[in-house]
Amino acid sequence: MLKARNSLGVVFFPAFDWAISPTHPERQERLLYTQDQLREEGLFDVAGIREYKPDLARVPDVDLAHFTFPDVEHVVTNSHLVSAGGAMRAARLVMEREAERAFALVRPPGHHAMSVVHGTRGFCTINIEAVMVEYLRERYGVRRIAIVDTDCHHGDGTQDIYWHDPDVLFISMHQDGRTIYPGTGFPYELGGPTAMGATCNIPLLPGTGDQGFLHMLDHVVMPLLERFKPEIVINSAGQDNHFSDPITNMAFSAQGYAELTRRLGAQIAVLEGGYSIQGALPYVNLGICLAMAGVDTSNVREPDFDPERVKQEKRITEYTESLADQLLEYFTAPPALPKHGRVEGEWFVRDKEIHYDTDSIFERQLEKVRMCGECGGTVVIESRAGSDPVCLAVRIPVGACPECVKKGHEVFELGQRSRNYRRAMLVDRPGKSVKRVLI
Amino acid sequence: MLLGIDVGGTHTDAVLVGAEGLLAWAKAKTNRTDLLSSIREVLGRIVPEAGAGRISRLNLSTTLSTNAIVEGLTEPVGVFVVSGPGIDPAAYSIGEHYRVIPGCTDHRGRITSHLDLAAAREHAGACRRAGVSVYACVGKFSPRNTDFEETLKELVHPQADFVTLGHEFSGQLGFGRRVHTAAFNAAVWRVFNRFADAVQRCAVSLGMSARVNILKADGGTMPLSMSRMFPVESILSGPAASVMGIMAVCDIQEDSVILDIGGTTTDIALFADGAPLTSPEGAVISGRPTLVRALKTRSIGIGGDSAISLVDGQVRVGPRRLGPAMCEGGQTPTLTDALNVLGAADLGDTAASRRGLNELAAKHNTDGPTLAQDAALAAVTSIRAAVIDLTRSVNDRPVYTIYELLEGKRVTPKRVYVMGGPARAMSGLLAEAFPEEVFVPESYAVANAIGAALSRPTLSAELFADTQRGRMLIPGLDVEESVNGSYKLEQAEADAARHLRGYLEHLRIPDPDALVETVEAQSFNMVEDDMLVGRSIRVKCQIRPGVLPGYRKAVGCRC
Ligand SMILES: [Zn+2]
Ligand SMILES: [Zn+2]
Repeated sequence: MLKARNSLGVVFFPAFDWAISPTHPERQERLLYTQDQLREEGLFDVAGIREYKPDLARVPDVDLAHFTFPDVEHVVTNSHLVSAGGAMRAARLVMEREAERAFALVRPPGHHAMSVVHGTRGFCTINIEAVMVEYLRERYGVRRIAIVDTDCHHGDGTQDIYWHDPDVLFISMHQDGRTIYPGTGFPYELGGPTAMGATCNIPLLPGTGDQGFLHMLDHVVMPLLERFKPEIVINSAGQDNHFSDPITNMAFSAQGYAELTRRLGAQIAVLEGGYSIQGALPYVNLGICLAMAGVDTSNVREPDFDPERVKQEKRITEYTESLADQLLEYFTAPPALPKHGRVEGEWFVRDKEIHYDTDSIFERQLEKVRMCGECGGTVVIESRAGSDPVCLAVRIPVGACPECVKKGHEVFELGQRSRNYRRAMLVDRPGKSVKRVLI
Repeated sequence: MLLGIDVGGTHTDAVLVGAEGLLAWAKAKTNRTDLLSSIREVLGRIVPEAGAGRISRLNLSTTLSTNAIVEGLTEPVGVFVVSGPGIDPAAYSIGEHYRVIPGCTDHRGRITSHLDLAAAREHAGACRRAGVSVYACVGKFSPRNTDFEETLKELVHPQADFVTLGHEFSGQLGFGRRVHTAAFNAAVWRVFNRFADAVQRCAVSLGMSARVNILKADGGTMPLSMSRMFPVESILSGPAASVMGIMAVCDIQEDSVILDIGGTTTDIALFADGAPLTSPEGAVISGRPTLVRALKTRSIGIGGDSAISLVDGQVRVGPRRLGPAMCEGGQTPTLTDALNVLGAADLGDTAASRRGLNELAAKHNTDGPTLAQDAALAAVTSIRAAVIDLTRSVNDRPVYTIYELLEGKRVTPKRVYVMGGPARAMSGLLAEAFPEEVFVPESYAVANAIGAALSRPTLSAELFADTQRGRMLIPGLDVEESVNGSYKLEQAEADAARHLRGYLEHLRIPDPDALVETVEAQSFNMVEDDMLVGRSIRVKCQIRPGVLPGYRKAVGCRC
C-alpha cells in the first residue's frame, strides 16, 4: 500500500448546496468531479492522508481579518463561515500536529476579498486565507507568515489586507493584469510605506506554461522565501492557470501544478479559483494532494494532455527569464515609498476605488497608515459604498507600538464625534478588542 | 424454525430459534483446519432434536474466506487492471499475475484512450501458460462504464473457470479497493465453492431441505447461490453476527454502544436510531481496503486472555494475548484471572488466578488484589477511550453540504450493551466507568448465533445517471439503460428502489418487510459554456440490516 512521506490532512468541502447562481462558475457542480476522482483514486486510503470536515468560523474570527459593513451577518452567509472554517481547520491540523501538511479543498474562495467588505467581488466575500492567517496569529502566536498565491488572477484582496503588514510576505504569480481581471498585480505594487517589499507581484504573459511558472518559482519566489524566513508558508492554490480553464489564458498542466507544489513545500494550501471543473480540477487537485503528501505524481496527468499543445512559446520563455532577473533585484531593494499615495504629516495617504463585480458595488476609500517607524502602523480607512453613508475603519495592528495604539483610539473617538460617519469599527489587536458603533 | 451457526475463531455456536423462542443451542471448539467438521458437530447435536424437516432456514456465518485470505491459502489469480493516468497502479499489485493494461476511462465514463487488446491477450496467454484459471478484471471508473471489464471478460473467459469483474460488487468509487475486492473474490472462489458443496451435502445427509444463507460483514445475509459468485462478501461476518444478535435480543431504539468482549479483543459497534452503523468505505482485510460492505466496528486488543503487565509502574492489559488464563492452566495472569481475584468471576481454578497475580504483584512491590483492581480498571478505561474515539470519528466524518454541516445528526450513545465471555464479570466495572447505562443481555453467550439465525438479506444499489450522455447505470445490479434529457432525480430514486426489489426477486429471496431506503440522492446541473447541458444524478439505496420481526419478540429479553 502507498504511504505518504508527509502526513496530509485534506479538508474537503465541496458545498454541494451552494452556488452564486445556477450557471455561475461557482456552482454546486464545481468540485463534483474532483470528489469523484479523489475517491476513485483512493486518495484517502493512502496511509497518512486523511479527510477532515471544516470547522465553522465565527464572527470574531472574521472581524480579525475584515472590516465588514454594515456588519458580518449582512455580508456573510454560512457558506463563507464554513469555507473560512475549512481553512482554519487546515491550520489547526498543522499547528496541533495532527498532520504535517494540510489542504483546505473548500469553496467559496476568498482571495479577492479585501480589508473592507461591503459585498462580493471576484466570487469572493471573505478572504479565507486571511481569516486563517489571523487565526494562526491569534490562537497559535505565529509571527512571520508567507502567502504564495498561484491563482491565475491577482490576489488583490489578500494583497490589500496585508499591504501594510511587514510580517506577512505576500507573493502573487498571475496572468498579467493588463489582460485579465482584476487588472492589478504589477511589480510596482510593493506594499505600504511601512511594509515595502512584503508584497511581491509576478505578472506572467498569457500562454505561460509549466516551464515559465517553475522558472519564476525557482528564481524569484524561493529566493524571496529564503530571505524572509517565514515560520509557515501558505499556498493560495488557485487552479485557473490550467490550459483548459475557460476564463483564463495560461498553459499550466497538472504535472506543472504537482511540481510547483512539491518545490514550494507549503505547509498549508487553500483552494482558490479553477473553473475547468471536468478537464483540470480532478487531475490538478490529485496532483497537489499527492505532491503535498510526498507521494509520486509522475503518472498524474489529464487524459487529453498533449505536451505539444501546452508547450510554451520561445518568446515567453525569454521574457520570463529576463523578467525573473529584474524582479528579484527590484523586490529585494524596493524604493522607499510606494508609487501611488502622498505623505500628510505622520500619515501616508492613498485614494482607492474598488469595484465589486459580483455584487455591482462601487466603493471609494481614503486609506491612511501611520508612519511611526516602529511598527506596521495604525491604519485608518474611510469607506463609502455607492451612495451609502461613509464608514470609518481603524486597525491597530498586531505588535503595534504604544503611540500607534493611542493614535488609533484617538482617531476612533474623534470619528464618532465628528458626525462624518454613519458606522465605525475599531480593531485593536494588542488590546484584543473589536468595537462597532452605529452613529 | 431457523437455524443459525457462527463459526468463530475459537468456538462454533449454533442455535435453533422458533416462534416460541430459543429452542436449542450447541457450542463446539472450532477445528481451524476443517471448519466443516465443526459445523457437522453442532448440526449433529441440534438437528435430530428439532427434526430436520422443521428447519426452514439455515444461516451460516463462517470464517472460511477470511482465514483463506489472511493465511494466504488461496489460488493464484490472473489480474487485469486498466488504470490510465493517476496514482501508480503498482500500489495495488496483488499476487504473481498482476498486469496493468493500457486504456483509460474518465470520471464521466468516457473512454479517453482505447484498451490495449494486444497487451491483454499477451497477459492472458502468460496466465494460461502458468496454469492460472481464475481471473479478476478491473477498470478505473468501471462503475461509470463497464466496457473494458466486459471486453476483458470475453477475452479471458474461454480459458477460465471463473472470472470476476470489478463493477459487479458496487457502484462505489475506489479503484484500489475494487482491485483488491475482485482479486480476493477470485482467489477464494474455488475453496469457498468446495465448502459450499460440502455444507449442502451435509445438510442433505441430515435430511434438511432448509434454504441456506451466508452472513456478510454488514449484518445481512445472501443466499448460498449468490455467495458462490461473491464469496469475498462472506469475510468478517463474525463481529456482524454478534451485533445482529444484540439487536435481536434487545430492542435497541436509542443511540447505543455494543461491546463484544472476547478472548483476545473487544469489538465495538455503534447503533444510531436503532440501526447498526455501516462503514462508509468498506472492510479492510490483510491490510488491504476493499469494497465489501461492513458494519462500522473497532477492535482493540483487550479480552479475557489479554496478558497483564507492568511497564514503568503502569498496569497494562493486552494487547498481547498470552492466554489461556492461569485459572485455565495458562502461564501468565490475564484479565480473566484479575476478574477471578476481584470476585467478579468464578472461572476454573481461582486459586491459580490468585497465585499468578500475587506473584506478579510481588515483583513490583504491590499486592495481588490491588494489581487485579488496577488491571480491571486499565481494561475498562481503554475500552471507554476507544468508544469515545469511535463515536468522535463517526461524528467528525466529512459531510459535503452546508445543511449537513450545520444540521447533521450526531450520535450520542445512551446505552452500552455488553456481550461475550467476560461480559457478566465485567459489567459492574463497566457500569462504573461509563456514564451511559450498561446492560448485559441474558443470552449473551450465544447472541452471535442468534444474530446469524435471524439476520435478513441486505443489498445496496448505487445508481449513476448522466443525462447529457443519456445513460443510467446500476453497476452492482448489472443494470444499464438509456435515459433522455428529462430524466430526473425522482425517477432515479424510483428506478434504484425498483431494481433493488427486482434483484431480490431474481435471487428468489423476496422480502416483503424489507425496507428499501434511499440514503443518498443528489442531482447536479451540468453546465458547459454557461448552458445547462444535462444532469449528473447519483442515488444510493439499500436494504438495511435487520432481524426478522416475528422472531425478535421470541428471543427478546429484558435489557
Ligand atoms: Zn482565479
Ligand atoms: Zn507604531
